Amino acid sequence: MKERKAMNRALVSTEVSTKPAPWADDAKVLADVAEISRQQLAPAAYRIDHEGYYPLDIMAKLGQAGAYAAHQDRYGCRYPLALATMTEISRHCGSTGFMSWAHDVCGLYMEQSGNPALLARLDDHVAGITFGGTGLSNPMKALTGIEKMALKAKKVAGGYRVSGTLPWVSHIATGQYCGAIAAVEKGDGSPSHEIMFLLDLDERVTLRACPEFSGMEGTSTWAIPLVDYFVSEDQMIADPAGPFVQRIRGAFVLLQVGIAAGVIQGSIDSIREVEPVLGHVNQYLHDRPDELQAEYDDILARAMTLAETPFDGSKDYLLDVLDLRTQGAELSLKASTSALLHQGARGYLMSSAPQRRIREAQFVAIVTPAIKHLRWEMAKLMNEELPA
Amino acid sequence: MSAQQLKQDSPWRQYICLACGLIYDEELGDPDSGLPPGTRFEDIPDDWQCPLCGVTKVDFELFEKPAILACDKGTVFNRQPGVVIVGAGLAGWSVAEQLRQQDAEIPITLISACNGDIYHKPELSIALSRGFEQSELVRESGVDAAQRLGVRLLPNTLAVGLSPALHQLRTTRGSFHYTKLVLAQGSKPALPAELPAAVCWRVNTLSAWSGLQRALAKGSSRVAVVGAGMVGCELAEDLARAGHQVTLIDRDNTPLSALLPEAAATRLSSGLAKLGVKFLGGQAIRAVEPRADGSRAIVLASGLSIEFDQIVAATGLVTDNRLARQAKLDFNRGVVVDADTLRTSEPAIYALGDCISLDGKPCRFIEPIKHQARAIADAVLELDSEAYAHNAPVIRLKTRSVAIVLHGLPSPDGHWRMVQEDADGLIMEQVSGEQVISRLNLGSPNQSCAA
Repeated sequence: MKERKAMNRALVSTEVSTKPAPWADDAKVLADVAEISRQQLAPAAYRIDHEGYYPLDIMAKLGQAGAYAAHQDRYGCRYPLALATMTEISRHCGSTGFMSWAHDVCGLYMEQSGNPALLARLDDHVAGITFGGTGLSNPMKALTGIEKMALKAKKVAGGYRVSGTLPWVSHIATGQYCGAIAAVEKGDGSPSHEIMFLLDLDERVTLRACPEFSGMEGTSTWAIPLVDYFVSEDQMIADPAGPFVQRIRGAFVLLQVGIAAGVIQGSIDSIREVEPVLGHVNQYLHDRPDELQAEYDDILARAMTLAETPFDGSKDYLLDVLDLRTQGAELSLKASTSALLHQGARGYLMSSAPQRRIREAQFVAIVTPAIKHLRWEMAKLMNEELPA
Repeated sequence: MSAQQLKQDSPWRQYICLACGLIYDEELGDPDSGLPPGTRFEDIPDDWQCPLCGVTKVDFELFEKPAILACDKGTVFNRQPGVVIVGAGLAGWSVAEQLRQQDAEIPITLISACNGDIYHKPELSIALSRGFEQSELVRESGVDAAQRLGVRLLPNTLAVGLSPALHQLRTTRGSFHYTKLVLAQGSKPALPAELPAAVCWRVNTLSAWSGLQRALAKGSSRVAVVGAGMVGCELAEDLARAGHQVTLIDRDNTPLSALLPEAAATRLSSGLAKLGVKFLGGQAIRAVEPRADGSRAIVLASGLSIEFDQIVAATGLVTDNRLARQAKLDFNRGVVVDADTLRTSEPAIYALGDCISLDGKPCRFIEPIKHQARAIADAVLELDSEAYAHNAPVIRLKTRSVAIVLHGLPSPDGHWRMVQEDADGLIMEQVSGEQVISRLNLGSPNQSCAA
């Protein structure tokens, strides 16, 4: 474990010399990402899942191929392409798909902040030269009333001082960064508002190891304890954070559908793979590939429509995204279970993709917003508001 | 009693880790970390760490169990799709009744945004003056009705998505497959932007009515009713009879102007005035401003500002198009249905009640619902039956001050002809070509009984 973390830190400083390609051609970006995923990521999936290998080298290559650019305004706000690349990545490794999502939304925060200091760092981020994740699990729940905000901030000259602990944040390491939100307290300790900032994991922060998870072990997930951590103007994403989060929430959740889509597609692939040899017995199973494919196509078609307008601020749009995300998680669970049943013993091998995808699908179902949070939020949005 | 004893006697508390959600129970302690059972939170050393995620004591806070508001009464899970009905108002329950009457076996699932209790919505227009409370308006609880009809009821469950190609309905409590789907979602208040939902009551459901009823239970209040359509006029009279000071506000110069010719509207207006309802006609509302003391001021376009204790919006109804849009159902002010079979543009989906439109017109009355439910049940069960025949229902206003009965559906710009007029009432007709398309009878309650 210790060795692994040391190795990860070494990887962070990997210099990538080539300049990013323009990534203007959707088909080429998708083909390149698919090829890297198939040829490099798929063979590494066992190592990532089982040995906790944090695949920054492969992510750097994905970045150079344009996997993390499409959704950015400066690269054309092409959310359909962003979803498609994330699907290709997740199809071969759910952990890397999840980290790609985290990386994508971190870039989204940086760009949407409009903060020149963060915009100056964006090109390196998008190209996979630097890496950063997102610590918004707790705040997303806190802002909708599910739990309390973990980080607290106090205004000081030139910025804020932040204390508290984020329990598990993925795709981070010393020298990297992540988006974070803290609740600002007034002098008397009463709540004022929230701030959102890019948390630089420099020498002031000692990352703490997390307990072992049943999956996602290669996602470099750590607890971040902060004690009077100074947040400067240069790190500020939004102050106040509330309206900013409202604006990006649809895009944030929509991009996650790419992870689900990849897990589903990968599961269907696994089922079809054994059809020639096991079809004669597999015909007795439910959730057959064509059935799963039909629902997957339904999800994909809706995702691509919603991806045309990622910043639509209407209630109906957000509901559509939450509904899609929920359905994606539900189908991930169903498809991955079905894939294991179709593959039988060979799918149950520790080295097989179907058993890994079951844990990936479970992750899709519980990562914020989890199915239960999504349903809570949809109910909240749909219930009629009455006078108090 | 010593401090020590006090400490021992107070109930065990639980503390939750803000980082990972682990609960520290004083009663159980954390023996693995050297805290014996019964260790009070304040006695835990500062360097103790959360056994799951490693944060310290300062990241824990007192845990109080959140109340579960959702109705989680047990439901029997049935994997057979069968019929899924969205909406447990009169329309939804009527379809369930009709189906069950003719088929004891077919699985029926009823998805309800509320608890599914059965009540008679028109009663909400007259219930305040009769001193009713919510429970007295419930005719049968949703749970009892579900049991009686062998229906799987999902209370407090909202339908969020619909994919006809998959026969899949998605809700806030999971996805459901259907053999046939029946939309009975009703309509919702159309609230203009100047009337914020947080300060304006709408009387469209029993729970919303109940909120208003409780707010008014404190005693005589100043109440504004915005919108003098049928519901607005009925509520204004009901509120006045219940002892409140009522102001009825409308953009048009007379109440019920969309239905009534001026001669009739004037009589309605004076009937309401006798009960103490003040009618403010020709008034657009600019804004509603909440006041610090809990009252609300209505600011009219003229600049005039009037203070009220409660505001009730009766500004019309619309059909929510969410599911129709997702499923790409034909929609025109309501879910478009075939006039004979109540089938929507999707073969396996039917709709009835307030959420539909026939020839581009919604029809939001009680009377047609039972016939529609029958037609849908017959179609779903593939029984031979007569086609549904839509007739414009007779409209009876539940205003006792001036009884109004309207046959047929008058055209807003059609000409009214006076048939009979005296001090007690009047009879008028609207004619298109040779045909009488609408007949209005307005008068004392006695007269209207004959209509």
